[in-house]
Amino acid sequence: MSASTSAETMNDVDLTAPMFSFAAFGTLAAVHSSEEQADFVATAYKPDGAGFSNSWSGKVDSLIAGQVTGTFSPHVSAVVQVVAEQSHDGAFQPHVEWANFRYQFSPDLSLTFGRTALPTFTHNDSRKVGYSLPWVRPPVEVYDLAPITSNDGLGVIYQRRIGSATNTLQLTGGWSVSKFPGGRIGAGEAKARELLSIADTHEWGFAMLHVNFGRTRVSIAALEPLFAALRQFGPPGEALADKYEVNDALVSFMGLGAGYNPGEWFVQAEWGHLDSSSLLGAKTGWYVSGGIRFGTLTPYLNYADVRPTGRTFEAGLDLASLPANLQDPAAQLNGALNSALSGIPRQATYTLGARWDFMRNVAFKLQYDQIALGRDSVGTLLNVQPGLRRGGTVHLFSASLDFVL
Amino acid sequence: MKRIAPGLVAAALCLTVQAALADVVAIVAAQSPITSLTSAQISDVFLGKLTRLADGTRPLPIDQTEGSATRDAFYLQIAGKSPAQMKAFWSKLIFTGRGRPPKAVADDLAVLKSVQENPVAIGYLDRRSVNASVRIQP
Repeated sequence: MSASTSAETMNDVDLTAPMFSFAAFGTLAAVHSSEEQADFVATAYKPDGAGFSNSWSGKVDSLIAGQVTGTFSPHVSAVVQVVAEQSHDGAFQPHVEWANFRYQFSPDLSLTFGRTALPTFTHNDSRKVGYSLPWVRPPVEVYDLAPITSNDGLGVIYQRRIGSATNTLQLTGGWSVSKFPGGRIGAGEAKARELLSIADTHEWGFAMLHVNFGRTRVSIAALEPLFAALRQFGPPGEALADKYEVNDALVSFMGLGAGYNPGEWFVQAEWGHLDSSSLLGAKTGWYVSGGIRFGTLTPYLNYADVRPTGRTFEAGLDLASLPANLQDPAAQLNGALNSALSGIPRQATYTLGARWDFMRNVAFKLQYDQIALGRDSVGTLLNVQPGLRRGGTVHLFSASLDFVL
Repeated sequence: MKRIAPGLVAAALCLTVQAALADVVAIVAAQSPITSLTSAQISDVFLGKLTRLADGTRPLPIDQTEGSATRDAFYLQIAGKSPAQMKAFWSKLIFTGRGRPPKAVADDLAVLKSVQENPVAIGYLDRRSVNASVRIQP
């Protein structure tokens, strides 16, 4: 990420530039979880993590990414960013995270066409750039809320000055397809269409305020057999299927973030809410974080919480009103509904960690997380084994090395 | 005597503190149309948050290359950010396509040259390198 190549400068008039520039970032990390009956993962897209599958896992946070930016004229540029990390099928594979053309109308207004990371919560579009974050990972209680994190379509960024503050408005619209491993909401593809997101960041001196709203229609084809089976049970089954089906189901999400960062210390807080009347459910997450910088060492302390705000239990089909031979199948369908609903996480996490910028472009972090699983919840853990004690405590130890090039 | 002395001491202290902090100064060409920028505005120009001044001028920030002691002192002074924090700041913008750092030149001499070549350029350098061709901001 050389600051001296003109292709990367603010002044778009400078055309004596090379046309292409390259930058890279990555994280090498290992996580240990004390909970051996389930896996800790930072995102629902990965099939396994630390705890049950591996005592120590490098797959939770490790990744490497490269970005090529092409500048074709003072107004037109393109970017491709490829990230290699553990994918939904377990393999460490590269995928295209960003690929778009940008038309810069002026230094304040630009239009992008193609793929971008969805700018929802404050750090959502930079959540994989570990070097840009104070912590090993952004708090999962907020950053794992929305099932959609990327967008294929159009984006507009408008930055303007209001008094001595800078306001950046981002409008994003399009669609997205994500692949999930087998999990509480089913494996396969989640397709989002009619995706619309509005995010606004207001920066005034050392203070920052962020707000975002978004909505989309989500379809998960792998869940269709469950709802097709429910529909066979007459009007009660139809009603259940109509309510919970994830077929063009409307999902809305919103977030509010605030921070104060004078450099020698920082505080930051965020609140996020996901809402859907389908099987995806409704939940609210938030965190507060603070840190102090002592030279090249920045210790930090976080508290985060996530909880369901809608149904976590569905009585389902009335078994008593069914003939004997249909009671077992009906019970299984009820069980499948409740398995998904009870999977909506309830947990709270205390985090203590430190970041050490021991050399240029590299940061070393050590982090301890104490996760208190909510009563009757497995929190954000995956691959839950029968021996897992709900409502227990999980101790995580993470060590990471973040770098940028 | 009793009333004047504390005032003199306070003034001397202010000058001393100012001299200790003012190793790096922001400068524009002597003939630049940019006349009065505050410290906060200079910080915002270099961080990409202020791209157009009240009179419509688009200032052009000139950085010094990463690793330079002058650069590190400048950002600590004007934005409160350590070199790592500056790198983290630009990483977030570069990898989300929202911004790019200013053009960087090698040293104080190169800054003086760049500022001469472009009337809307703002650079920073060691106070001792200031000459008649440039004006200190603020």
